[in-house]
Parts: sequence; structure tokens; C-alpha cells
Amino acid sequence: MASSVDSLFVKAQNTTLPKSLRPTSPPPDNVPKHKHVKDLKLRTKLNRQAAHAARSKALVEDAELLLTNEAGKMQVETELERTWRIGQDDIVQSASQEAAKGRRELKLDGGPYRSRYSRNGRHLAIVGNMGHVATFDWQTGTMHAELQLQETCRDITFLQDQSFFAVAQKKYVFIYDRDGVELHRLKAHIEPTRLEFLPYHWLLASVGNNGFLKYQDTSTGHIVAEHRTKLGACHTLAQNKHNAVLHLGHSNGVVTLWTPNIPHPAVQILAHYGPVVGLSVDPSSGGRYMATSGQDGVVKVWDCRNWKGTVREWTTRGGGAELEWSARGALSVAVGGSVNVYTKPSIQTPHAPKAPPPLYLTHPIPHRPLTSVRFCPFQDILTIGHNAGLSSILVPGVGEPNFDSMEADPFENKKARREREVKGLLDKIQPDMITLDPDFVGALAPPTKLTTAVNDTHDIPFARLPRLERLRVQGKADETELVDDDEDIADGDGDKNAKPQSRMEKEKRKMRGKGKSVKRYLRKQRKNVIDPTAVAIRAKLEKQREEKRVAKAIENGSMEARKPSALDRFRRP
Amino acid sequence: MVKISVLQHAPSVHLPARPGDPTPTTRNLDPLMHPFARARERNRALNAAKMDKLFAKPFVGALEGHIDAVEVLCKKPGSLSAVASGSWDGGVILHNVSERKHIRRIQGAHKGKVSGLCFAQDDRLLSCGVDSKIKLWDASPQDDITEQRPLNEYPGKSAFNSIDHHRSDPLFATASNIVQIWDETKSAAISNLTFPTSTETITSVRFNLSETSVLGSIGSDRTFTLYDIRTGKAERRIVMQMSSNALAWSPTFPTNVLLASEDHNLYTFDVRQLKTPTHIYKGHVAAVMSCDWSPTGLEFVSGGWDRTVRIWKEGQGTRPEVYHTKRMQRVSSSIFTADARFVLTGSDDGNVRIWKAKASEKLGIITARERAAIEYRDTLKDKWKQDNEVGRIQRNRHLPKPVYQAAKLKRTMLDTRAVKEERRRKHTRAGESKPNAERKKVVITEQT
Repeated sequence: MASSVDSLFVKAQNTTLPKSLRPTSPPPDNVPKHKHVKDLKLRTKLNRQAAHAARSKALVEDAELLLTNEAGKMQVETELERTWRIGQDDIVQSASQEAAKGRRELKLDGGPYRSRYSRNGRHLAIVGNMGHVATFDWQTGTMHAELQLQETCRDITFLQDQSFFAVAQKKYVFIYDRDGVELHRLKAHIEPTRLEFLPYHWLLASVGNNGFLKYQDTSTGHIVAEHRTKLGACHTLAQNKHNAVLHLGHSNGVVTLWTPNIPHPAVQILAHYGPVVGLSVDPSSGGRYMATSGQDGVVKVWDCRNWKGTVREWTTRGGGAELEWSARGALSVAVGGSVNVYTKPSIQTPHAPKAPPPLYLTHPIPHRPLTSVRFCPFQDILTIGHNAGLSSILVPGVGEPNFDSMEADPFENKKARREREVKGLLDKIQPDMITLDPDFVGALAPPTKLTTAVNDTHDIPFARLPRLERLRVQGKADETELVDDDEDIADGDGDKNAKPQSRMEKEKRKMRGKGKSVKRYLRKQRKNVIDPTAVAIRAKLEKQREEKRVAKAIENGSMEARKPSALDRFRRP
Repeated sequence: MVKISVLQHAPSVHLPARPGDPTPTTRNLDPLMHPFARARERNRALNAAKMDKLFAKPFVGALEGHIDAVEVLCKKPGSLSAVASGSWDGGVILHNVSERKHIRRIQGAHKGKVSGLCFAQDDRLLSCGVDSKIKLWDASPQDDITEQRPLNEYPGKSAFNSIDHHRSDPLFATASNIVQIWDETKSAAISNLTFPTSTETITSVRFNLSETSVLGSIGSDRTFTLYDIRTGKAERRIVMQMSSNALAWSPTFPTNVLLASEDHNLYTFDVRQLKTPTHIYKGHVAAVMSCDWSPTGLEFVSGGWDRTVRIWKEGQGTRPEVYHTKRMQRVSSSIFTADARFVLTGSDDGNVRIWKAKASEKLGIITARERAAIEYRDTLKDKWKQDNEVGRIQRNRHLPKPVYQAAKLKRTMLDTRAVKEERRRKHTRAGESKPNAERKKVVITEQT
């Protein structure tokens, strides 16, 4: 053996990563080692990826130190004091000058008022039933637009930011500029009652007196979906901010969940004995809890993951409460002549008796009816719309203290607003990605049910099989991360003793009870027309059944097996 | 008594301290603050893949000057812009690639085609031709670019096919029917290296870039041979199924060698274990005529008889980047420039073409912010390449119709052969015939 090739061997033996490319922190523990993967390169790559992911997770946990701002709070020191006894005057006195500006009353005439904050909490849009519309920056007091529309206006919403807003007027939806210039008349949305804007999909949704739910893309102008709810006029609409599903409350007490992709509701629940008046989804738990209130005076909190009864329900004095959850999980209920605020964790823990949860704060408002409640996004402020205008009250502890300036920034300047708008347009998600579970993106697809195998043996040659089938035949298919739909059911904890079934057995169990295609065909042919193929199939099935019966009888012993005779060669099979 | 504190935001933390300062950013990495994070990231990956294809304009320019087909290209070591090309009419041109001008133009350097070029030290160029002569030329930049007289001439006994210079010593090796080592100061070869039982024509010879006394050569009898100057002998050789057309040693991994084969594939071998190739690169639909490594050792370029240039990643044996033009005919030579940004190809139509190694790269001054954005997009594409839509956009290549049809036909024929092989295997008794892995079919035998 030549020394030259040996020397090549020696030189290439000690290869390590250069120091600048080596990871600086020690490898984290609890990292999964993919020992079941035989390919060394793939295994190294997967191990490196897993270590990198574990390190990033640790860094994200450390990043909580960077959250410098603290949430507001209201703590009683003695046992005799209660938080709900404290009035707004005391809170305003304890608050700083800047925070105390949040306590204000807007005395307006123009019918009962509804309000909406922009996503960063800096701009407020108000609309009165008689047609008074105003948008302004409430912190600096700058008025953007004020309009007297002189017709019934039922709802208002900002579009992507303060530069556009949409008003649900008597017959149609109109879109206005920041300065109040009318830009569009959306004649597809007829007699709208409520509006919602889905910011990540750029969709404007409206429900109306005709019972239609319509989605329109505000960046291209197309109508994405028009759904007939078939449940009559709808006056209650809420959005789940984490999966962009719209919750509608109907006049027969039914709450339905809609996506633009399915023509019927994804979920339908009978919630109340009368019309559903208030509806809101909790953003602090990722859309897990939904609060509904009916004309019957009952307020219910539901768990959206398993729709098995309410988490909490209680009766309020007076029917038809307006509801809203805050970013930190506080629920405000405006019913009768006052607004009540309840906080976590009591509002979210299951409680069987029908008693109201412990009250956190209450505020009376003499002007009835109370038509809307809105929390200001990053402040401890609750804005109530009523017959004589709007009132903003301070509620310590409901506002999210640390915002992310890339998502929503109350202090953004003109340049930042433009950049965010353009980036939002580039990142616009297509409406067909809206589902009840938003985490399906990037997850492994469920194993396909299509297989060419008959009783686990393949008929077609190995070279023509699809890739996953080939790996299965070779025994190299790594199915550790595939989750079967059957096993994922919520009540799957009763089957711990069952053996792991093979795929064939699972398929068989699924098919049991369901009509097979042959039976379906025969059922269709059971008309007055005699079809020779149907006749032949029936005869064949009959013969198979007869054979099975005979075989079973022979097993039982009730019948003797036919003795072999010389004339058997003449028998037709 | 009650402790009350109401949330407030300090404007000083969120607004710039002085006019002209950048606005401070605040981050909250709680996933609840970022709904649809994965869907948005996937959208960005999709846009990144689309932008990559939108801005893919790989052709930079053509260097003209040859009358006949370009046979061989060679880059000057230590220089970014000097490249020499030799053509079938016997002309040799030294190009300045960045200015697209000729530094030297030698018409009639050889009678017949110039079959090999290499650079010697101190601005000198060696060329060999089928007229059995090796000539040494002065390659330094001068005012008069036409050059007629060589510095030295080395006559040989038979037509030369290839030439390569030693890394540091004044030695060079040539390939004809034997591999010969020459000293620049002597007019005859100082040693002949042959394998004892070979009667072949050697088509290409290359020195190893790290272990500089080791040579590799490929021959017409489907062999790849390793030699050592110090022992003066051929060490080992392998015989393959089909002959190779070009060979290139890896610049970063000294034991890896890349062979461009007639059976449309490229093979990398580790010379310590020559029985099986380490990788097989399948993509060309006709013979691969030339190959060259990138200086990073992570990529290589191959030019084929099917009129395409393909840029491969080391370790990934399918779906390379494909460059083609209607005007470019059979690609006979391809090299990477020393900065790994450009690929030069010489083809039958007499042009040397300059292509970008990364088709959508911006050739200008890139600011730090732009570079960060480019790196982010590259990571996004890599992370989401398993997604159906993103992966499909990245994998898609436009091929000229004849190449596409040829690839389809080849795929059908190979599939039917695989199916037939399997049916044969299914119907033979167990233990009678054992299936062979693809890699083991390449090398027939190894001889020492």
C-alpha cells in the first residue's frame, strides 16, 4: 500500500468544525436522540436541529426578562375590603396624570353609541345610531374625521389601521378614508348589522338582516365567500383572533362558528333560550373560552375545545348583556345599568353551581341601554357605549403591559405605519387557510388512507409504489411522528389496555357498519329495471353467503362435510 | 387599604431620544401576541421562493474571439479575472473576465486543436495539442496582445490529451498514451508513469491539490488511475462500467475526486475506498463532458453533451440548477471562478459564457440590511422546502424541449427496467440471485 494514500488518510482523519462555527452554549438536556434512524447523515442533521430548537426555546424563556413593563393591579390588604367597592374616583386619584386621562365621559347625542379601537389602541372610532360617526386619536385628542350620515348606522370598524374605516349603514357598507372621504360603497353587503375585520387575512366580514355572512377581501376587492346562515337576521358577531373564525349569535339561541371555506357552520351550539345578544372570545387563552349572553339574562362561559356544557353560567338581573374579554383574560359584562368586570382565574375555572363569579370591579351608568363594551388594547381602559354617548373607565390589570412593536405599536410613526402596512400585505394569508385549528400549517399530514395493498400484500411492482409505501415494505418507514386520527379523540384514555392494531385492522373496524360500494350499487339497482350485471353480482354474493354458512355449519358440527366422490370433477365450481 | 396601580407606558422608552435616532423596538415573544405566526412565515417562504425565480437571470455575458469550438478552459491560480481558453483551431486566448477583454491572443498556437492548458508560475501558460507539442507562453499583460512566439517548446512522441502543473515545483504532467512528468528546464519527459497492464489512451490527468505528488488520470479503457511521483509508479486503478470524460479533485477534502462519466452521471470517489462511489449525481441526459469544483468544495459545475450546464450541491444527487441557451451548443468545458460566484463554460459554438453561480444573486453593492434580508429569505426557503407549494416552486426547472423529452424517455426506460428486474427477482427462488445496490454496480474491479 503506497505511503501517499496513507498520508491522505492521516490528514483527513481529524476534521472538526472550526471554533467560530461551534455552538457556544453546552448542549441542552432532554433533547430527543433519533436512535431509530439508521442513516448517519440524517440522524446527525435531526439531532442538530433538535439541539438548536431546544436552545432557542431556552432563549425564548429567558427573553421574558426583557418584558420591562408591569401590568396594573388592584390588591386589597385587609380581609374586609373588596375590590368591587372601589369607585372610579379612588382609582383616578391613585393613578398618574397620564393614566388618569383614560377616565373620561363623552356626552353626545345621536342615539346609542358603539365604539371600536384600532389594533394598537391609539385610535377610537365611534358611531351613533342616528348617523354620527367620528374617528380620533384619543391620546392626543386629534380628530381624524367626523361625519353626520343622517341614516341608521349600526356598526363601525377600522380596517388595517386608522387610515380606513368601514361603517355598516342602513342599506350597505361604506368604506371611508382617514379624513372621512367616502371611498367605496360595498353593495354586496345588504342591510348589515355587524362588521368584523380579519387583520391577517385582510377580510371584511358582515352579517345582516337577511341572514347572509359575507367575506370581502379589502386588498383586492373580491367577495371571497357568501354564506346563507338560514337562521334569519343576525345581530351578534364576534371574531376569534387566533384562528379567524367568526362566531355568530342568532335569534333562536343558537351560536354558530363559520369559516369562509365551508358553506355550513363548522360548529353549531344551542346556547340560550332566547336570542343571543352578547358574544366574545377570550384572547388570553388562545381562543379557548367563549362567553355568550342571551335575552334570557343568562351569561355562559364555554370551553371551545370540547363543547361539553358550560364552564360557568349565571343569571344576571336584566336580559341581554354586552360582553367583551380583555387581553389578559378579564370579562366585562354590561347589563342593566352597570358594568361588571370579572378576572382570571375564577372566570375560567369550571364551577357547577349557577352562581356569578367573584366580582372584580363594577361601575354604574345611568344612561340605558348599554350598547357596547370595548377594552382598549394596551391600556387599563374600558369604554362603554350607551344612550348618551360614551364613558371610559379605568380597570386596573386588564391591559397587556408589554406589546410587540412589530405587531401593534401605539407609538408608531408614519414610516413605521407604512412599513407595517406593506409587510402585512405581503404576508396576507389566503382565506382557504382558515380552519378551527390554526396549528395545522407546517405539521405532518395525516397518513393517507390510499394504499394499493390488499391484505397487506402489494400487487404492483416495488418500483412503481409511492415513496411511503416503498419505505413501509422495506421496513424503513419512520412513523413515530404520525398521529392517527382515531387516537386523537379527546376521550381516548379508556383504551389503554387495547393492543396496538395494525393498519388493516383499523381500516376494517372503520368500514364496519358502512355500506360497501357493491352494496351501494345494488341498492341503486333495486328499481324496476333488470340489469344483468346487478343480477350476476347478486347471484355471486348469494353463493358466497351460502358457502360461508355451510363452512360455519361444518365447523359447528351440525352438518357433515361432503365426502369426496368420483363425480366431483363434473361439479361446476 | 388598597394598592392600586394603573398600567401606563412611558413614551421615553418607545419614542426616539433625539430626532434622527432610530425608533426603539419592543418585543414580546409570547406566542399569543403573534397569531398565525406559522402561516405568515410560510407565506414569506413562498414569496421568497417566488422572488428567487423572478430574479433568476444567470447569464452575464459571452467572451468571443475564437473561430472554432472551445475545447478547454483554465483559470489562473491566485487571480480572479484571468482565464485561458483553447479552441479547435489551435488558438489560445487569455481573457480578463471582469473587463471582458483579451490579455493575450495566440492564433495558431498549435496545428490542430489545443487539447490542454495549464498555468505555470510567474505568469506563464503551458498549452498542449494534438500536434504532439507542448508550448510555454508568456502570459503577463503587455501592450501588444497578439503573441506569436512561445518561450519554450517541448516536443513529444504522440498527441497530447491533457496537461496539468504541479502545485509548487516546476513540474508538469501530460497525458497521451502514457502519463509523463516533465521538468520545465528539460526538453524531454523525466519519467513515465504507467499501470503495468494498461494499453489505453489517457484522456485527462490532474494533480491533487493538497498531496501534491499524487496524480489522478482517466483513460479510454474506462479506468481511473492513481499515481505517485515519488515512487514513480501507478498505485491503484479502478475499471468502471463506462469511461469518464473529466476529473476534478476536491479543493477542501483532499481525498475526494469527482469524475464526469459517459453514462450521464457524475461520481465522487474517496480514494481510500475506491470500490464504491460516495455519491452518484444523476441529472444529465447525455454524456457529461466536464466538471469542476467550486473553491468552497460545497458545489460543483458540470457541462454536458446535452447542451446544459448544471450546478450541483455536494451530497445532493438530484435536481441541480440548470442553465441553457439556444445559442449554446455542446458544452465541452466548465470552470468555477476563484471567488465561487461565477461559472465559465466553453462550448462548441466558439463562445466562452459567463454565468452566475447563484442565479438570483444581486451583482452590486449589498448593504448590511439587504444582506440580512437575503439571509433570512434563504433560511426561510430551506426551512419550508418540504412544504408542497414552496418545494414545488424551488424544485421546478425550465428545460429546453429536447432535453425534457429525453429526460422523460430516459425515466420511462429506467422504470421499465427496474420493474422487469423486480419481477425477475420475485419469480426466482430465494437465494439464487441477490439484488445489487446501485452504488456497487459502478466499479467493475479494482487493481493494484
